[in-house]
Amino acid sequence: MKNQLAMRAAIGSFAFVSICTAVLPGTAHAGGVAAGTMIQNTASATYTSGTASGTVSSNTVSVRVDELLDVAVSGLTSTPAVAGATDVVLEWSVTNTGNGPEAFNIAVNPAVAGNGFDATVQQIVVDDGDGVYEPGIDQVIANGAATPAIAADGSVKIFVIVTLPGTATDGQTSQVDLTATAATGSGTPGTVFATQGDGGGDAVVGSSTATQTDNDSLIASLASVALTKDGNTIVDPFGGNQAVPGAVITYTLTATVSGTGQADSLHITDAIPAGTTYQPGTLTLDAAPLSDAADADVGQASASGIDVNLGTVAGGTTKIVKFDVKIN
Amino acid sequence: MNRFMIAALGAALASLAPAAALAQVSPIELKGDVKVDTVVVENGKETHVLVEPKLVVPGDDLVFSTSYRNNGATPVKDFVVTNPLPTAVMLAPEGADKLVVSVDGGKTFGALSALSVAGTEGKARPAVAADVTHIRWILPVLAPGSTGKLTYHAIVR
Repeated sequence: MKNQLAMRAAIGSFAFVSICTAVLPGTAHAGGVAAGTMIQNTASATYTSGTASGTVSSNTVSVRVDELLDVAVSGLTSTPAVAGATDVVLEWSVTNTGNGPEAFNIAVNPAVAGNGFDATVQQIVVDDGDGVYEPGIDQVIANGAATPAIAADGSVKIFVIVTLPGTATDGQTSQVDLTATAATGSGTPGTVFATQGDGGGDAVVGSSTATQTDNDSLIASLASVALTKDGNTIVDPFGGNQAVPGAVITYTLTATVSGTGQADSLHITDAIPAGTTYQPGTLTLDAAPLSDAADADVGQASASGIDVNLGTVAGGTTKIVKFDVKIN
Repeated sequence: MNRFMIAALGAALASLAPAAALAQVSPIELKGDVKVDTVVVENGKETHVLVEPKLVVPGDDLVFSTSYRNNGATPVKDFVVTNPLPTAVMLAPEGADKLVVSVDGGKTFGALSALSVAGTEGKARPAVAADVTHIRWILPVLAPGSTGKLTYHAIVR
């Protein structure tokens, strides 16, 4: 019939009645027309027959848009998170790239091939929408459990709280995988879950296979402390260096903190050896005197022993504590 | 049955007659249909197959068709079929230039290449298939008994 078709730019003077399709509930967006949208098509015609003109409409054909199951996952911790003694918060975004509201099951796997250590997963937290990790406010979910439904084209942040295992050593790296899978189902693109689509239709797996994984990485930043004690400096009452009664021994305690991390709450303590007496006012830290009293400075000393509270000491630092005792 | 009742019946029949005359049966019959154009790859060859729209997702290629038939005994002239595009679909770019279309809600029609729409910063830009709001087919004469099918491809947005 093609040869009967004639294109005419001008449409002449005859009347035309347009029958518009119903207003559609769905709006177009990146993920496509919303699942459940009814696509309705009606054609109408005008014509003349003899001297009369007429109009006629076709039946309306309707197609329901089914739900496309798609997801995108992105690790947001672009440079490895530095993990020391405290909790580390790793972040991912999970985006519903389908066309209907969908919940996604979140599975976190800290045991990734090639890891120097496997981080210990403490908590999986779904952001409440402000993009900021708020303990006690954001929703905690079990590993493998589902997020609340995410709107089509919407995305949600997932926070994973991890700690270093005891076996981790300074400088080791590790990856943590997060996998989001459409709660309705996943699989080969085109897999159909009959009648399970949002809006009353079917659900069908899209090109993402409805399950995606991305990783965040972390690096262990730890410090080790080595302590040496030296008591070789002896001055006897006779001007020599014999360990005789009345001789004064100077003890030198050297704390060497190494690694990229820091040593927290580092105390250097030592007991006064039996048969000796602490010499008041001789306690020093890095050659600076410390008072014996338990007061504002970091050191204290008594007849029983000394205690220097170094607090937090960064890796690569050496601290030297000295004190004198007299042999009884 | 008394005469009064017969008279009443007659009046009823008389009042029905003009209504029946108004509901004139159109000599033209239009029948709409929709299929999904799917690509089947067999031995490396792509073939298009039209299937029932059981499963439709964004990106699918729908084929809307309107079959017409002149059931009357006389020719029908100036036969113009107008099809507003559902908002959830856009006209497929392929073959769009062979149709008479409107990009302004059915006010004006023409070849897509001759139409423009308001672009950014108040400048008009050439219309593209996604801008099409209506499609129109014009047939000067439909002989009695003649039939045909008008189709267009549309992509689910």
